[in-house]
Amino acid sequence: MNLFMHKINKSFGANNVLTDVDFKLNSGEICALLGENGAGKSTLMNILGGVLPADSGTIEIDGKEIQFSSPVDSLDAGIGFIHQELNLVNDLTVYENMFITHLLKKGLFLDTDEMIRKTEDLFKRMDVDLDPKMMVRDLDSSYKQIVEICRALLQDASVIIMDEPTTSLTEPEIERVFAMMRTLKDRGVGIIFISHKLNEVMEICDRYTVLRDGSMVAEGLVSDTDPHKLAEHMVGHEVKTEINTRSGVSGKEVLRLENLSDERYFHNISLCVHAGEVLGVTGLLGDGRSELFQTVFGAMNTKHTGKILLDNTEITVKNTHAALEHGIAYLPRNRKENGIIKDMTILDNGSIVYLPKIVKGLFIDQKRQEELFQKEVDALRIKMGSKFDMITSLSGGNQQKIVLAKWLMSGPKVLILDNPTQGVDVGAKEEIYQIIHRLADEGAAVIVLSSEAQEIVRICDRSWVMFHGKQVGLVEGNDMNEHNIMFLATGGNSENKQKSDAYNVYAG
Amino acid sequence: MEKAKKENKGFIGWFKDNWAHNSLFSTLFALFVMVLIQSVVMWNNAGSFGGLFPKMRMAWLNILRNNAYAGIIALGMCFVIISGGIDLSVGSQLCALGAILLYLIEPNFGLLLKIGMTGPLAYAAAIIILLCLGCLLGLLNGSLIAFGKLPPFIATLGTMKIFRSVTQQLTKKFTPTVPAGFKAITSTKINGQVILPIIYWAAIVIIMHIIFKKSAFGRQTIAIGSNERAAKLSGINVNLTKRKIYSLCGVMCAIAAIIYVARIGSMDFANAGSGYEMDAIAAVIVGGTAMSGGRGSVIGTFLGMLIIGVMNVMNNILNSVGVPTFLCEAVKGAIIIFAVLLQKKESV
Repeated sequence: MNLFMHKINKSFGANNVLTDVDFKLNSGEICALLGENGAGKSTLMNILGGVLPADSGTIEIDGKEIQFSSPVDSLDAGIGFIHQELNLVNDLTVYENMFITHLLKKGLFLDTDEMIRKTEDLFKRMDVDLDPKMMVRDLDSSYKQIVEICRALLQDASVIIMDEPTTSLTEPEIERVFAMMRTLKDRGVGIIFISHKLNEVMEICDRYTVLRDGSMVAEGLVSDTDPHKLAEHMVGHEVKTEINTRSGVSGKEVLRLENLSDERYFHNISLCVHAGEVLGVTGLLGDGRSELFQTVFGAMNTKHTGKILLDNTEITVKNTHAALEHGIAYLPRNRKENGIIKDMTILDNGSIVYLPKIVKGLFIDQKRQEELFQKEVDALRIKMGSKFDMITSLSGGNQQKIVLAKWLMSGPKVLILDNPTQGVDVGAKEEIYQIIHRLADEGAAVIVLSSEAQEIVRICDRSWVMFHGKQVGLVEGNDMNEHNIMFLATGGNSENKQKSDAYNVYAG
Repeated sequence: MEKAKKENKGFIGWFKDNWAHNSLFSTLFALFVMVLIQSVVMWNNAGSFGGLFPKMRMAWLNILRNNAYAGIIALGMCFVIISGGIDLSVGSQLCALGAILLYLIEPNFGLLLKIGMTGPLAYAAAIIILLCLGCLLGLLNGSLIAFGKLPPFIATLGTMKIFRSVTQQLTKKFTPTVPAGFKAITSTKINGQVILPIIYWAAIVIIMHIIFKKSAFGRQTIAIGSNERAAKLSGINVNLTKRKIYSLCGVMCAIAAIIYVARIGSMDFANAGSGYEMDAIAAVIVGGTAMSGGRGSVIGTFLGMLIIGVMNVMNNILNSVGVPTFLCEAVKGAIIIFAVLLQKKESV
C-alpha cells in the first residue's frame, strides 16, 4: 500500500507546528523521519495515526483520499502506530495482549486455544521465536516492541509507525528489532522509522525525510547521503546567531565528578564545573544525563560508584536534604510531576525548600518568609495575582520561575537545571536564559541539562555531549555549534574511540 | 453560629460563596444538619421547647466527653492522612499504651511504686514515659513505611494486630486498678461538671492547628501528601518527615490512653480502643481531608469528629422515634455517606 500525505498544515493556537508538509511511503520500504525536538515529527505522525486532526491537507492511500477521526479509523485503514511508551499490559500473557482489543470468545468464555494458535501462526510467519503463553512482564524491551508490531500485523496493518523504538534497547535487542523490520519489509509492509540515531538510519532505512520547524526540508535516498549531511539538514544551514556572548570568566572549581558510574544509566563520568561558569550537558533521550545529576543530588535510589567532590572535598549525598545542606540545588524536568506542589499556594511553593531555615522558635517566621520570597519575585520578575493564590493559577513560565525561586532562596553553590525551559513560551525562555547568566555572573556554578542543542549553544560556556550513558565529547568555543552537538549526540562519534578518549584526558 | 448568619440579607449569595471557597463550610453545614435532626427528635421527646435546652446540653457534654479519646487520635490521623498515608494501628496503640500506663501506676505493685515514686510525681513520670513510648510505637510504624517502603495500610494493619495481641498475652493475669489521685486528672469537676477531657481535647486541637499552619513540619506534611516526588526534589527529607508524622500520631495515642485510663479507671485489653481507627479515619475524611493526601485541616477533623459523635448516639435518638434497632446502623451508614456527599469535591 502506498501512502501519501499532501500539504498537511497544523497549528496549536498561534503556533504553526506543520506548514505544507508532504510525506510519502511506498510498500516494502523503510523511511526515516528525522528532525530535532519540536520539529513536528510527532504531530505529523499523530495526524497519520488519527490522534490529531489536520487543519488542512489530505491523506491518500493507494490514490484514494481518506479521513481519520480517531486512532481506530487509522488502524482500520491499515496503519499501526507503535508509540514510544509501549501499550502493553504487563500482567497479561503475550497472546492476551495480542487480542486485547478483540478477545476471541467461545460462548461465554475466552477461546484460549484459538488465540494461542493464531499468535503462534503469526510468529512463525514473521520468524519470531517467542512463546505466546509468556507473561509480557518477563519479556525484554525488544520483545515487547515485537509483540506490539505483531499486534498491529494481526489487525492487518500494512504501514507501521515506530516512534524512537530503539532508545531503551541494548545493542543485541536493537539487532532483533532490526531483523523483524527487515522481515516486514520483505513481506511488503511499509515502515516509518522515527529516530535520532543517524547511524541506525544509515543501517536500516531506504529513504529519509527531514522536518525542521514544521516544514519538510529534505528527502531522498539514504544511499545518497551521510550522517553529516543529515545532521546539517536537521539543524539547518543558517544556524541561529544568538550565541553565548558572555566573557566566560570562571573562578575556582566547585563541583567535580570522578568516574561516576551507575549500573544502568551512566558509566565513568568525569567532569568539573567552576564558579561563574555555565556548563551544558546534552544528548538525546536515554543518554542518562538526568539520572547522572539526580545521583549528584541524592535523588536516585540506585547504587553508584565513583567520587563526587565539592570544593575539593569528597562528599556523600545520602538524600536530597543532604544535597541541600551541601549547597547543591536541582531544578527537575517535568515541572508538573516533579516541580510544583499543586495543593499549596504560590508563596509556600516558592519557599518550601528554605522553610526549615526561616523558623523562629518553633514556627515559621512569616514576615521573613514573605520578604525573602518577594526579593526573588522581584529579581525573577514573576507575574502573579496574589501570592496566596494556588500555584496552578500561574502560567507555565511563571510556575517554572517559582520552582527556580525556591532554590535560589537557599543560595546554592551549584545549580543544576534539568530542561529549564520545558513547556515555557519563547518570551519566558529568553528571560530564563538571562537569569541563568546573571546567576553565573554572581558566582554560582550552573549546570544546564538540555536536549535542545540550540539552547546549549545559546547559554553555555562549554558543554559535554552524552550518548547512551557515556561522555562522547566536549564542545566549546567555535566547536560548540548545533551541527557538532547533533553529530556527537546521535552517536556519530561512537566508533571514533580515540577522539573521545582525548576528550576524557581533557576532563581529567 | 449558622443561625446568626441566616439573618444576612443576601443569604443565598453568601451561602454559595462560602460553599465554593471555604472548604470548612460544607463540613460545618453537615454538622448543622445533624444537630438540627437531633434537636427535632429531642424536642419531640422533651415535649416542650423549654425542655429541649437542658437535654441538648447533657447530650452534648456526653458526646464531647465520650469522643475526646478518638477525637485526639483523629488529630494525629489527620496529619497521617494529609501526608498520603493511613494508620490502622491507633486503637491497638491506645490499648498497649494504656496497659503500660496501668503497670506503671498500679497502687499495689506498680513499677513506679517499686522504685519509691508515689503521688503526683509518679503520675507526672508515668505521663512523660508514656508520651515517649507513644512516640516510639509511632516511630516503628513510620520506619516500616519510610525504610521498609511498605504501603502504610499494610504496615499499620500488621502493627495493629501485633500491638493488641502482645498486650493481651502480657496482661492475661492482670486486673488493674487506678489510684484515685490519677483519676483526678480527668474527674475533677469544674462548675459541677466533668469537662476536663473536653478541655484537653480543645487545647490539643488548638496546638495541632498551630503546628499545621505555622510550622515548617506542617508545610512539609502537605508537600509530601500532595506530591511526594516534588517534595523529595525540594530537598525535604521525606523519610525523616514521615517518621515524625507517625510518631506524632503515636503521641496522640499516648495522650488518648492517659485520658482513657484516668476516666474509665480500668481497661478491657481485648476491646479497648478497637474501632477507634475507623472513627478517627471517618472523622478526618468527613472533616474534608482528601483521602489521597495533600489537602485537609485540623479544625475540619475536629468538626468531623463531632459529626461522628452525633452519629454514634443516633442509635438512641433513632430508637426513640421508632426506627427498628437493627436498622439504626444502616441509618448511621447513610449519614456518613451523606455527610461526605455534601462536601465540595474537586472533579478529576
